[in-house]
Amino acid sequence: MSGAPTGGGSRGTGAGGTASPTVDPRQAEFPADAPGLDGAASSAGGAGPGDEAGPADGAVFADGAAPAPAAPGLGGARLGPVGWLRWGWRQLTSMRTALILLFLLAIASVPGSVLPQEGVDPAAVSQYYAAHPSLAPILNRLSLFSVFAAPWFAAIYLLLFLSLAGCVLPRTFRLVGAARQQPPRAPRRLARLPMAASYVTPLPPDEALSSAGRLLGGKRFRLRTGDGWVSAEKGYLREVGNLLFHIALLALLASVGIGGIFGYKANRLLIAGQSFANTPTALDVFRPGRLVSPSELQPFSVALQSFSATYVSSGPQVDEPETFNAALRYSAAPGSPTHGFVLRVNHPLTVDNVSVYLIGHGYAPEFKVTDGAGAVVFNGPVPFIPVEQAGLTSEGVVKVPDAAPSQLGFAGVFLPTAADQNGQLVSEFPAAQNPRVSLVSYAGNLGLNSGQSQSVYQLDLAGMHRLSIAPRPLAVGQSMTLPNGNGKITFTGYRQWISLAITYDPGQLPALISGIMALAGLILSFMVRRRRVFVRATAAPGGHTVVAVGGLARSDAAGGFESEFAELARELRTAHDGSSPVPVPAEPTAHGTTESVSSDNDQSLSIREGE
Amino acid sequence: MSRRTAGGIALAAVAALAVAGCASGPIGQDTPQSSGQSFVSGSGTNLYKTGSRPLAPDISGTTLTGQHLSLASYRGSVVVLNFWGSWCGPCRAEAPDLAALATHFRSRGVRFLGIDIRDDPTGADAFDKTFQVTYPSLNDPGDELALDFRGTVPPAGIPTTLVIDRSGRIAARVVGSVSYNGLKALITPVAAEHPVTTGGAAR
Repeated sequence: MSGAPTGGGSRGTGAGGTASPTVDPRQAEFPADAPGLDGAASSAGGAGPGDEAGPADGAVFADGAAPAPAAPGLGGARLGPVGWLRWGWRQLTSMRTALILLFLLAIASVPGSVLPQEGVDPAAVSQYYAAHPSLAPILNRLSLFSVFAAPWFAAIYLLLFLSLAGCVLPRTFRLVGAARQQPPRAPRRLARLPMAASYVTPLPPDEALSSAGRLLGGKRFRLRTGDGWVSAEKGYLREVGNLLFHIALLALLASVGIGGIFGYKANRLLIAGQSFANTPTALDVFRPGRLVSPSELQPFSVALQSFSATYVSSGPQVDEPETFNAALRYSAAPGSPTHGFVLRVNHPLTVDNVSVYLIGHGYAPEFKVTDGAGAVVFNGPVPFIPVEQAGLTSEGVVKVPDAAPSQLGFAGVFLPTAADQNGQLVSEFPAAQNPRVSLVSYAGNLGLNSGQSQSVYQLDLAGMHRLSIAPRPLAVGQSMTLPNGNGKITFTGYRQWISLAITYDPGQLPALISGIMALAGLILSFMVRRRRVFVRATAAPGGHTVVAVGGLARSDAAGGFESEFAELARELRTAHDGSSPVPVPAEPTAHGTTESVSSDNDQSLSIREGE
Repeated sequence: MSRRTAGGIALAAVAALAVAGCASGPIGQDTPQSSGQSFVSGSGTNLYKTGSRPLAPDISGTTLTGQHLSLASYRGSVVVLNFWGSWCGPCRAEAPDLAALATHFRSRGVRFLGIDIRDDPTGADAFDKTFQVTYPSLNDPGDELALDFRGTVPPAGIPTTLVIDRSGRIAARVVGSVSYNGLKALITPVAAEHPVTTGGAAR
């Protein structure tokens, strides 16, 4: 039964006191074929409660695959509230739960990329509302327009966080123990080990063992001695790697938390020629972390001087954007010198550790409105939102609340390259080659004066009536005179706008460092194998001593220990033979045997490799 | 309760804090480009006791009518500073009350000053005509004036109204629409305070 678990005893069931009544594979003497990746991979999700088994002496490798979480078997059927809590905690911190939560988190993120998100593109959400008036409120109630701020998303995240922390934290302490662990006692029958050798030496058993200890100690094995045996273990760096991975994982969680608490996200739509400063009133959407003070945002300001987009004008990818360039000037604080910067997609501006990304663009037609009394009551650009990408047909509304005799509202379509397609006005190309704007006009009460906050992309038509003038496409400079003495509107030109995502995440760098550390730890724990060498020396008739050498390494790691073991066995044999003297290590080994090897005997020798 | 469980609860608290941080929604404000689905109306009033009032920054700029104006020139008067925009519904709702209060308190050494945020001057002018606003407003197209309030009491949304005492310190802040009586109750005690002659020192 070489290599099979031998069910080795019941000692050392650790702190929790909830030893599973079934045989824990980890307590087996030689789980040479123990499945799973030692520590690193399985630990990410959390070993089950059985992990309490800890670094028991008899366990050759105290870690290993996580078994199914054991029932909280505190004396059978009766389970108090504490027992239930403990059971719940076990379930939560089990690897299975963590994997389920991770999977759920991935699924929960899907609507975030399928549906427009309030935090990323509020304009798109408004568009969605307009396009799906009956569905949108339902989706909104389910927080599907702000998935990453949704209570149910937070619940998953919270549980995953708890699950990971609850698993990793105790494991970290256990790994510290594993890294400091002494080698186990030597098994009785070394010949049963995957690798074994034996030979006969004229040295007395004590001397053979102490010389073996010196040789192994000189090769940086950790040693433990007993009556008639020496056991040595190497590869604790694996545990260090494992530990590094776990600590880095905790640091990663903490970094994410730090980012959530001290970071913020914001959006801003900026028309060419405009500037803004990083202060709450200037931001269209502002999502601060819990401990972000709005009075202490990084005080930079950004001006958009110009924006240019180029598009593929022919071929199969016609109408697709080629380049976006936003020429910015920015200053880190009031009074600081201003710098130029060309903002492009995936080429964010970083100022004062805040990243400013270009996430969208569009057109803002400019209008001048003269009211019925002859006063100019509106004169400026109005951002329109693209409703399709091929031609950048854009929609928007113009509100003129201070017009007399009544307030005016316009629902408009902007066509960058207008063309007549079977009697329908469409935009053929995203660049503004033949810009036209078409407006439906309303008069009445915009509903603004009541104090309600309104979307700038929607008209509240409850108090408005449509003016009896058919919309016709206006070219730049053309006007439309409104009926009933309501004045006129002129399409005076157009500008371009960009939308910016502003993110400050102080956890980003720590998260990156933690990620690299976790990877390094993982690699280390995969590359380095724990390997053990046992030596037993027994006096045999005729004044000889039989030396048995056994070796054991994790079977799941790549090979290589066989040759290392063979070399070790050869060196030991040579040392005990004296035929080729082994240099005695300069320093005495840990347990302080200082006898020198007497090395003047010739010896018969038998060696058999790995039975 | 075992130490383990206590640890778990502590961990839960930390994690909850972290998640709450991720999940907190937008603060109540109205901006030209916001979809306007969230807005906190007039309930956000902060009062600052004498002695702990933050000093208002010395802002200056150009008014909508092209005059240069600085807040420092109002020192000795109580200043009611209103951040507004002609596009902003709550601002339009409170405008008649502000205009009336400006008239009401004029004889008591109270000056009103607007800061027009993210607006085009034409629309702002039309707003002032509609609501017969007679006090001046500084134009703040690049948010420099709003930015000057960082570190003290920044406008948390539009509208925001600050009451600044005679020594240039912020006595009250209202985020959201003000009402005639509500703002009157805030101004009256500040207007009754005696001017402090020793500059910035708080009493």
